[in-house]
Amino acid sequence: MSAIIQIKNVTKEFKVLNRREGLKGSLKDLFSRDYKIVRAVDNISMNIEQGEIVGYLGPNGAGKSTTIKMMTGVLEPTSGEILVSGNIPYQNRAKNAQEIGVVFGQRSQLWWALPLIESFKLLKDIYQISDSDYESMMHLYRSLVDIEPLLHKPVRQMSLGQRTLSDILAAFLHNPKIVFLDEPTIGLDVSMKSKIRILINALNKEKNTTVILTTHDMGDVDALCQRIVIIDKGKMLYNNDIEHLKGFFGSYRTLKIRIDGDLKQQAEVIQKSLPEFSVSADEEWISILVDEEKSKIMEVLHQLQKSHEMRDMQLQEISTEEIIKKIYEEGVE
Amino acid sequence: MKLKKYISLTRAGIMESLHFRLGTVVMVIGNLLYLIVVYFLWKAIYASAGTDVVNGMTFTDTLIYLVLATALFGFMEMYTVWEIGRNIQSGKIVLDLLKPMEYRRYLFWSYSGSFVTQFFFTFLPTFIIVGIVTHGAIPLGTNLLFFVISVIMAVSINYSIDFFVGTICLFTESIWGINIMKQVIVLLLSGATIPIAFFPETLKTIVYYLPFQSIYNAPLTLLLDGNPKNETVLTILSTQLIWCIVMMILSKLFWKVSLRQITVNGG
Repeated sequence: MSAIIQIKNVTKEFKVLNRREGLKGSLKDLFSRDYKIVRAVDNISMNIEQGEIVGYLGPNGAGKSTTIKMMTGVLEPTSGEILVSGNIPYQNRAKNAQEIGVVFGQRSQLWWALPLIESFKLLKDIYQISDSDYESMMHLYRSLVDIEPLLHKPVRQMSLGQRTLSDILAAFLHNPKIVFLDEPTIGLDVSMKSKIRILINALNKEKNTTVILTTHDMGDVDALCQRIVIIDKGKMLYNNDIEHLKGFFGSYRTLKIRIDGDLKQQAEVIQKSLPEFSVSADEEWISILVDEEKSKIMEVLHQLQKSHEMRDMQLQEISTEEIIKKIYEEGVE
Repeated sequence: MKLKKYISLTRAGIMESLHFRLGTVVMVIGNLLYLIVVYFLWKAIYASAGTDVVNGMTFTDTLIYLVLATALFGFMEMYTVWEIGRNIQSGKIVLDLLKPMEYRRYLFWSYSGSFVTQFFFTFLPTFIIVGIVTHGAIPLGTNLLFFVISVIMAVSINYSIDFFVGTICLFTESIWGINIMKQVIVLLLSGATIPIAFFPETLKTIVYYLPFQSIYNAPLTLLLDGNPKNETVLTILSTQLIWCIVMMILSKLFWKVSLRQITVNGG
């Protein structure tokens, strides 16, 4: 099966005006302009299969939105190739638009003053959805969420959560092959977040829709994504499934122990006996970051037990959040 | 089937504009105030002129002309420049560009609902009131047919100009100044604020070669002339048609080029 989205060596450069400082600088800018070229996306390649949910992560300003805009056809890449379901998006924006759905967390495509059902009817006509397809989609929606009270409510009276939910439903309405969700859970409360995650998952399963999700919420990633792509400063840092990511850094676990006496002093002693690991102490715990490739956690525990009397212990797995933080900060070696 | 998506947009537009009842009422009152100002201003002008006929127009002629021009303005003004500018600033334009429809059309049809409501709420009442008050100074004959054809083309020309100016917002990212400038130029040179008959000769000649007079002057001339020569009608309508086509091509082209520029260099 060929990939639904193929991105090959895509680079995007922007011309940015170099503004000079101060009033004098502003005046100078009126006459001579000095542009510099910023590379927002740098040689990225990836393939995404039909039906995948891919988490597209990166710190703010990493180039995520730029890549998404290129995939939707709003921006044209400076070099490289993008194929979305067989189309070159920027050359064939209208055709591409039939195949994709978009939700930008902070903006709504719904008609502000009208009840939601009117927006749906409009989208039905704009995307030329047949009556039977429309009905079956609405039937599916009804089975997934309690949509009735929303349908007759004007969009401007909705809460942010209801509006986001409606926007996601609107994006899926014409049964697109791909849906781009740009920070869909931003600013939502915990229960709404979980509702939206369940909805996205269900729609993905039911319609085999490919979902590309950008988010800063690791809860979204853990709940939805099979695969993640991380970029920073326009460069791709990571592109693989989540399990692999955990294995990548997951060989590290933190062993926390509590013992009697001055923890600072004890920590130094332990550090001497375990020179290959880093040991630190706070008010309550001594933490040892164990690399399991060097020695098994049980061996470390066994060794400690011989020399110290432990009152309590804890074992911490490294979370997705910490791994990603680590990648943002240090990159992948 | 293709037409259906446009009609739906019109339908939503009507519903949306009916939603803002207060807005409609305020607009009607605002128009009335403006008309009162116009009435007294021109009364003073005619009084100081000392004659009944100035530049071939009587006071009643002028007043009818200006009242109907105002009504036409309420009907035709689409605030396209505002809309485009706001959409660019808020970034909503990205969502509109991702509709499977040309942006130029999408915007037009989204707004078209207001044509319908404005026609029934401002233009038609004004027209009827003027007709009654002036005891049938507006001729009712074939001129109505010409007027309708002319207004349709005027709407198209007006929209093309608006869209052209709106496109400039892609580069400047500011709306206010550009919009005001456009409005002043269009309203003045189209004869919407002062009848073109009052213009000095040189300006009249210049205006004649510009597209603006096709927006207000052309339909109003056709409407108010009770028995026009076929030749005049033909000249006015064909001039409009030419501008209609030229402006449409220009605005489409400019949009296409600009959008490409933006998609290449980023916005």
